[in-house]
Amino acid sequence: MDFSVLVDQFFALTIDGIALGFIYSLIALGYTMVYGVLRLINFANSEVFMLGTFATILTSKNIFGYADDTEPLTGMKLAYTLLACMLVSMLVCAITGVLVEIIAYRRLRKMGSNRLTTLISAIGVSIVISETVRIFTSSAPANNPRLLDKIYLISYMGTEVNIGSVRIPISAFEVRLDTLLVIVFAVLLLIGVDRFVKHSRLGKGIRAVSMSEQNSQLMGVNLNKVVSSTFFIAGLMTGAASFFYITVYESTKFNVGFELGLAAFTAAVLGGIGNIRGAFFGGIALGILEIYAATVFGTQWKAVTAFVVLVLVLLFKPNGLFGESLQQARV
Amino acid sequence: MKKNKVLALAIAGALAAASAATIAPAAQAADTVKIAFQGPLTGPEAQTGTDEVRGVKLALKLYNATNPAVKVELVEVDDQGDPAIAGTVAPGVAKDTSIIGMVGAAYSGATIASLPSYKAAPALAMISPSATRPSLTDPTSPDYGQPVFHRIVSNDALQGPALVRVATKGVSKPAVYVVDDQSSYATGLRDVVVPTIGDQGIKWLVGTDSVVKGTTDFSAVIAKIKKVKANVVIYTGYYADGAKFAKQLRDKGYKGVLAGGDGVLNSAFIKLAGTKAATGYRFTAPTTPLDIASPKLTAEFKKEFKADPGVYTTEAFDATNMFLAAIKAGKTTRADVLAYIKTMKHKNTAGVTISFNKNGDLNGAGLINAFVVKGGKIVLSGLA
Repeated sequence: MDFSVLVDQFFALTIDGIALGFIYSLIALGYTMVYGVLRLINFANSEVFMLGTFATILTSKNIFGYADDTEPLTGMKLAYTLLACMLVSMLVCAITGVLVEIIAYRRLRKMGSNRLTTLISAIGVSIVISETVRIFTSSAPANNPRLLDKIYLISYMGTEVNIGSVRIPISAFEVRLDTLLVIVFAVLLLIGVDRFVKHSRLGKGIRAVSMSEQNSQLMGVNLNKVVSSTFFIAGLMTGAASFFYITVYESTKFNVGFELGLAAFTAAVLGGIGNIRGAFFGGIALGILEIYAATVFGTQWKAVTAFVVLVLVLLFKPNGLFGESLQQARV
Repeated sequence: MKKNKVLALAIAGALAAASAATIAPAAQAADTVKIAFQGPLTGPEAQTGTDEVRGVKLALKLYNATNPAVKVELVEVDDQGDPAIAGTVAPGVAKDTSIIGMVGAAYSGATIASLPSYKAAPALAMISPSATRPSLTDPTSPDYGQPVFHRIVSNDALQGPALVRVATKGVSKPAVYVVDDQSSYATGLRDVVVPTIGDQGIKWLVGTDSVVKGTTDFSAVIAKIKKVKANVVIYTGYYADGAKFAKQLRDKGYKGVLAGGDGVLNSAFIKLAGTKAATGYRFTAPTTPLDIASPKLTAEFKKEFKADPGVYTTEAFDATNMFLAAIKAGKTTRADVLAYIKTMKHKNTAGVTISFNKNGDLNGAGLINAFVVKGGKIVLSGLA
């Protein structure tokens, strides 16, 4: 155990943790929204994420034709390329999400099957998608060309001041363009979804179904439309996460959804599943926690620490950190 | 009653057919035998297996073209370099007794997982072109591969010190940080590298860390590396993660030396890390590039596969030739082949005569080469 690195690099690590955390948050939204409406853990969401990462790479490589060693773009070209990649990824994920619902869940729901059946169906879809991609890519990793240069906007190496015999370290502080972009856009998206669910007509429908499926139908809510919309929005958020992931880490593989999906699901449970703001804070909390744990205990202890903390939180707050307190904001 | 008789007859007929079927291949065994290759043919490290299996294919093509009395077929066994997968595919290979020799396994962890299957009678002789973990040939280790395991390359007991030499070459005050990926190979190499650095008398080692294979975010390790002001970072894992790690280190402004062993040395490394981050990366490996060992074979190789030879292509080619020599000498059963390769003296592609010692390592001093990324290519920079 060594806290000195954490102290010296505190802000730099925290910012990395937040950026990773926002990616978790966006995927966690995918889990949490579907859970809120259908009480179903949509395990296929991790594979939807994986498809989004490949969609981003295909867009930049095959549609825009950028090669592996393309020089980073600048100006308007950069802006519209990134925007196009993000939109394609979001749409691919949203449409996949809706299709998964129609193919794998809708009929089961109509026939009134129990939740376990749907859960198995979800796991099945997840395996089908990831294995299909595995076969098509021969399990090889895929790389995205560097479109956005990793420029430091702020780079302060940190120092220490001695007051008498007391050493006070001042942490390094670094902000890189790509992580900043992730943080800004993710916050905007998350606020947008929160507003949408709270105030729009469709959002009200989503919340109504979440409270009671039967009563909302009696009040004239079109259940299938609401469910499809929920999957669509969840897919949009997951797709944005895929794009951000590729922008920061630049590589993907057929099983990338497993690790990220598990982390995002953990984040959703940590924040209180079914709760939009819970996903938001759960993601950030997990992202930061993982980076701190890796720094203090060693990188190999990252996952262990995250799950120990999750179990501890659930012991004291079985509904997650925000499960109860933000009940009214739940979808 | 009648029905039962018909059924009994049908069963007897089926049994007879089945036993005939099992006898048939044995009768053919005299003119066709099989050699297996085991390594990662798909998965993140597929390039390693592809480079090696092409060496095997080239050797078999040249051999079968001479119209020999016994033809040799290749069985490709894909373990993805993963011990868990190796453990599930090895029993099937062990059962097929028409396979009389194994080139592989390519990876140390996969070798350890496969050994119990290949050691079981009838024992299958293995010649690995690239599994370098020292414990595989250490009689005191539970991983000890005898009587079946042999390797045609020097092991990491030799590579470790060479890697330290290459990594710290030209660095006036080395501050070395060592990172492994917790695989059998990586921890084995680390366990040689770390004490070597300690032996330098000066405090060269400034830290170590382990990551999980498949890690995507290396921020925490990089923060530690920056904190201790390391100027040499050695990664003892494989290239798929090594490339990501190199890229993130450079992106975070690390300016020092990056180095890795034969696990990182791979033509796909530059593609995955990007030319910018890969440039200057130093490698060691107990391999001789095919174009150095034999320009004539290299031309043949390029014609056959429309691609350049890769890492350990030469060694896979030589390992295959050792089995082919055994077959030429009339050894077509597992037991005969195993006994033959233990005592044989073989002139390899580079013209050096090689033979195995009782632990399965090569006799003699061994060889480790050094490589560096220069101008978007991996080039040989001499003996390590």
